[in-house]
Amino acid sequence: MAESAMTRRGERERYDNKLLQIDTGLVLSISAIAGIGALMLYSVGGMSWEPWAYNHLLRFGLCFVVMIGLAIVDLRIWLRLSYPFYLFSLLLLIAVEVAGEVRMGAQRWLTLGPVTLQPSEFMKLAIVMALARWYHESSAEEAKLHWKLIVPLMMIAVPVLLVAHQPDLGTAMLILLTGLAVMIVAGLDWRIIGASVAAGVAVVPFFVIFVMHDYQRERVLTFLNPEADPSGAGYHILQSKIAMGSGGLLGKGLGLGSQSQLNFLPEKHTDFILAAVAEELGFVGGLTVFLLYAAVVFISIRIANLSHNHFGRLAVAGATATFALYVLINGAMVMGMAPVVGVPQPLLSYGGSVMLTVMIAFGLVLGVKVHRYQELPRSVGLFD
Amino acid sequence: MNETTFQNMGERQGVFNRRIFLMGGVVAFGLFALTGRLAHLQILHGGRYKRLSAANQFNFRLIPPPRGQILDRNGSVLAGNRPSFRVVVRRNEIEDIDKTLDQLSYILPQTAANRRRIVRDINQSQRFVPTIVAADLSWEDFSRVNLYAAEIPGVEADMNEMRVYHYGGAFSHVVGYVAKVSESDLKAEGENPDPMLLHPGFRIGKQGVEKAFEKQLRGVSGAQKVEVNAVGGVVAEDPTGTRPPVPGEDITLTIDAEVQQRALEMFGEDSGSAVLMNVHNGEVLCMASAPSFDPNLFVSGISTKAYRLLADYERRPLLDKAIGSTFAPGSTFKMATALAFLAAGIDPKERVVCRGSYPFGRRNFRCWRAGGHGSVDMNDAIKHSCDVYFYHLCNRAGVDRISETAHKLGLGELFDLEIAGQKSGVIPSTEYKRKNFKNDPKWHPGETLSVAIGQGYTHVSALQLAVYTARIANGHKAVTPHLVKKIGKVDLDFNFADIDIPPEHLQLVRNGMNAVSNDSDGTAFRNSQLNLGDIKMAGKTGTAQVINYDRAGTRRATQWRNKDHGLYVCYAPADNPKYALAVVVQHGVAGGTVAAPKAREIMKVALLKDPEMQARIVRPPPPEVPDEPLIIPEADASADVLQPAAPAADDFVPPTP
Repeated sequence: MAESAMTRRGERERYDNKLLQIDTGLVLSISAIAGIGALMLYSVGGMSWEPWAYNHLLRFGLCFVVMIGLAIVDLRIWLRLSYPFYLFSLLLLIAVEVAGEVRMGAQRWLTLGPVTLQPSEFMKLAIVMALARWYHESSAEEAKLHWKLIVPLMMIAVPVLLVAHQPDLGTAMLILLTGLAVMIVAGLDWRIIGASVAAGVAVVPFFVIFVMHDYQRERVLTFLNPEADPSGAGYHILQSKIAMGSGGLLGKGLGLGSQSQLNFLPEKHTDFILAAVAEELGFVGGLTVFLLYAAVVFISIRIANLSHNHFGRLAVAGATATFALYVLINGAMVMGMAPVVGVPQPLLSYGGSVMLTVMIAFGLVLGVKVHRYQELPRSVGLFD
Repeated sequence: MNETTFQNMGERQGVFNRRIFLMGGVVAFGLFALTGRLAHLQILHGGRYKRLSAANQFNFRLIPPPRGQILDRNGSVLAGNRPSFRVVVRRNEIEDIDKTLDQLSYILPQTAANRRRIVRDINQSQRFVPTIVAADLSWEDFSRVNLYAAEIPGVEADMNEMRVYHYGGAFSHVVGYVAKVSESDLKAEGENPDPMLLHPGFRIGKQGVEKAFEKQLRGVSGAQKVEVNAVGGVVAEDPTGTRPPVPGEDITLTIDAEVQQRALEMFGEDSGSAVLMNVHNGEVLCMASAPSFDPNLFVSGISTKAYRLLADYERRPLLDKAIGSTFAPGSTFKMATALAFLAAGIDPKERVVCRGSYPFGRRNFRCWRAGGHGSVDMNDAIKHSCDVYFYHLCNRAGVDRISETAHKLGLGELFDLEIAGQKSGVIPSTEYKRKNFKNDPKWHPGETLSVAIGQGYTHVSALQLAVYTARIANGHKAVTPHLVKKIGKVDLDFNFADIDIPPEHLQLVRNGMNAVSNDSDGTAFRNSQLNLGDIKMAGKTGTAQVINYDRAGTRRATQWRNKDHGLYVCYAPADNPKYALAVVVQHGVAGGTVAAPKAREIMKVALLKDPEMQARIVRPPPPEVPDEPLIIPEADASADVLQPAAPAADDFVPPTP
């Protein structure tokens, strides 16, 4: 019945029908992760809704509404707004460079009256949308190997350099990898991919020695040998490993994790919340979280496959790549497999900016599912 | 155009679908790797991390055990513990040291005066180890701090035990003292020092029994399991994880507090030592060194100024003169020489004529009595302490025989004493000369003359003299001195080897000593009278030169430190020896007049406290008419003891001076 209704164009445009098209699996997975996040924040907050758990749920609730709202927005609007949004984000990044507020040694925040913005967060989304639009308007050959590829490369390079200069290497790397992921799934020639990987590997030592700030270099060195200074720089990694390891199979129980409850675990409510999950809920809890993340990623990939328009496909692929990168980098970091970089665990960690970015991204993903049969014009005006 | 676009679009989608599949694979691989790592941490190494986590979470607060007491033979507490009220600060619980100390100064004014020390101590303190701000507070101060401490975070008023020496200086050298743990104490503990040593209230034995029995006295610290957070603050206490401390063991000494106190009383400001021991079992009842010092000063930390006063004082209160100081034994050595003569086969009846001096080689050796003693045999020679007799015969016995005999009697020996600090002194022999005098390694017969009267190179300690006297007195055993009677509840028992000197030789020497004290013309007759009925004392006086008068050009020393030492060795009762005593009065001029009266008083206390002697003193006098057969029923023995001592005392005929 519903299928036949969907075939009629007018029926599809109706908002109530659109709402029915929202992917429940994805929404449930996202909500489950955010729920586990709230539970953990309740626990590490000393079994209390204050100061984190309540806020986390409130933010999730608000963002959830935003996400659903965005899911029924016509894809043409997304397509049209992608370049303006990118330019707007770029301008904000430049504004941060000029008039940003320095917090914790880095210039990341922009204060506009009562609102404090972190423009690098917008850029994560903007780069995905802008690249998706560019590839949407290009041919397979242009995506594979063409002089025009200089455009997406520049689109990635400019914000990456701006963010890296703040300095916020974690986000810069995230933007870079997301951009590259979109380029690859769009059909970049394997030879270029191979050459880039080789060049990247060659450049890393040079980068570590000459470009990084001292504290960044220290983090990398600490990662390579955390036991060298267990009470100093290696402390965070070591305490995180102790927290996770001591959880065992079933965990110590909610609110009973000594590492997180007694503050041995650093940043237990933000970057290291996964360690708190593993400590209190054990391997079972950790595995559940990973399975939920996997569900989010694979449902999103399925949505990308379903889409009839290239913009939707690439936007979902980019959003999924960002999300997966968050999960993997944070996971590797808290388990001592990667240097400590300020990358939170999406939906699980406490923090408003990331929550908003991620939920907007999923609004787009859900929107692509809702509008999967929509054909988009090959080209639209820059500010149509 | 439309055609190509369609194809193109199909191609784009095909590439995308393949590549997104690949991306899914990469993400799946990544998540798989993370899950593997999680399993590695949680399941494979879970045990190890659980231990590390517990080590983070729990901390053991040390509970110091009460230190064992040191008791005298009758159970009087020589070293005990008393409560001490103190104020401590915990560094990890205070935010601003200056502010905290300012607040504390309102309550405790002395905080301000010691501020520099306190700040230094706080900065040097280890994590979780509190710093003592003030100790030994009065009850008023302590209550005031207790009242207000709750409002100053990190400040605590608590009570601990502090060492106390109830008798002041009377036992400083034997019992020793405790003081703060020093770097070298920590090093001596080896690789893993007991964490108790780092506790601020802990005191370690530094001298005497406190040091020698540190292990037994210390006990085993208890622990209180507490949960701490990352900054070290205590979150909760865990009563199930609390282990009570094991108190240290009490050490019971052979020392008799009354005898020792009497000895120090007798010395007053005189410098010297007295060692009194049981001749049968080697128990030392008195080992006094005078003047003494108050060991309580060291417990809370002596000031440099006070320490310098003690260390620089001419009479050296810090030195244990009973075992750690040696001097020429003078005439008290003559029993050893006499025994060497007997061992060499010299007839004790052989007579030597003393004319006041004895020319030998190019020197003239003088007897102490310028007019000479006339014809003397061995007994007379000991009784009058005639030097010429020993000058004349000594080379027939030879220095090596004298040395050997002296060693057999304990002189020049180090004993297996419980406390450290013994000095062996010197009993010269040809070998000693050969080894120690590279320029003149040959023994000259003239040197034997000095040795024979306990001068020259000869140096002994007061303890050695006491052992020497004890061995002569008991007549057959090589007793060694002991200070400890019981460790905890375990009695200590010692066996002694037989002495390699014929008993009849020892009897001859004892006869001589008896004559010294009990013959009216003996050198110590006047000062050896105990007035304890038939319990007599037998002894030998000695005067040891400190400087060479020939070289000084005068026989009169004007400065205290150049005066002769006065010595007296004795045992009692003379007829059945039980106690041997050596008294050395440094720079006390003469043994008979300075040392002997002290010895008499010390010996008297020991004898009066001895139940055997008490029984003997109050025993009825032997019947004067032995004609009738006398039957004393055994049951009456106890009744006899209860009789007043008066009749016995009446019986005693005082000697004519």
